[in-house]
Amino acid sequence: MLQAIENGAEYFIGIFQTGAGWFTDVVVGIVPLLIVLLTGVNALIAFIGQEKVNKFAALAGRPGWQYTFVRYLALPVVAVVTLTNPMAYTLGTFVPERNKPAFYDAAVSFVHPPLGILPHVNPGELFVWLGIASGIEAAGLDLTPLAVRYLLVGLVVIYLRGLVTQFIVDRMWARRDSAAATA
Amino acid sequence: MDTLNKSLERIGRAVGGVVGTIYQAGRDTVDVVVRTVLPFIAFVALIVGIVLGTGIGDVLADTLAPLASSIGGLLVMSVIIALPVLSPVLGPGAVIAQVIGVLLGTQFGEGNINPQFALPALFAINPQVGCDFIPVGLSLGEAEPETVEVGVPAILFSRMVTGPAAVVIAYFASFGLY
Repeated sequence: MLQAIENGAEYFIGIFQTGAGWFTDVVVGIVPLLIVLLTGVNALIAFIGQEKVNKFAALAGRPGWQYTFVRYLALPVVAVVTLTNPMAYTLGTFVPERNKPAFYDAAVSFVHPPLGILPHVNPGELFVWLGIASGIEAAGLDLTPLAVRYLLVGLVVIYLRGLVTQFIVDRMWARRDSAAATA
Repeated sequence: MDTLNKSLERIGRAVGGVVGTIYQAGRDTVDVVVRTVLPFIAFVALIVGIVLGTGIGDVLADTLAPLASSIGGLLVMSVIIALPVLSPVLGPGAVIAQVIGVLLGTQFGEGNINPQFALPALFAINPQVGCDFIPVGLSLGEAEPETVEVGVPAILFSRMVTGPAAVVIAYFASFGLY
């Protein structure tokens, strides 16, 4: 009887010990670097200043396909890296009305891919990256190549998302306009 | 003497400004870490404890590991998560992506999944990113209500295409990774 209670207690506390071990690993292994890095990037952004970012954002409103690279690639990257989640989406103000959904789609899709290199963009959702990354680290592999590729593929993906969403939005507006014209 | 005093004052002021900015950056950082990052680490630590300590992890791992260890399985995962009905529900706080990420991470750690699949897996767990936040995000960009009306379904449908597409791109980008 006593033995059963002891076993039960051990099982119970074992759950929390496992969690605590994981907690220690993360706090000791990751949090110090995160704090120093975040401090550096936050200071850098304060030095650069908001006005310069706004001036650049105005470029995104221009027509022509070459500006889609500004709208769905450069601007989302600058927005996310300097303003971070969720303030990054405020730069949508500079984008033409009908491009706003596509800009949002591109920007919001970039709040995780840089996490391996620039964790300040979204520290509250760090584990989208770190969950898998800590496993890779536990397997004794170097994280840097994964972090770099995550970022690079992220760039391709956000541009693609911007274009695909723009295509769908254009179709939906065209249908609305023609419905309004016949009505 | 006067000019020396003036330049000393200017240097002092500039250094003070720089130090003040960095100090403020440190304050903001610690604030974010204490308020957001540490609570989430505590939350995930409890989940990890329960999942690994009770053996639920083995069951989940048996389901997730086969999905995550082939490109087909990852595509299936991304399509399910990107369904327009599910994606806004799975979005908030990226909790689902983070929990699945941690579960998959333990599998990568134990060597049950080829580490090369880490890259496509990062995209497969996350096609719903921001789908819960579209109206708010668009309003932050000062979008008209009509734009929101069109934008929400447009982004949700777009993810049906770009979610799996991201997994495929990441898969091809993962060759030679490990």
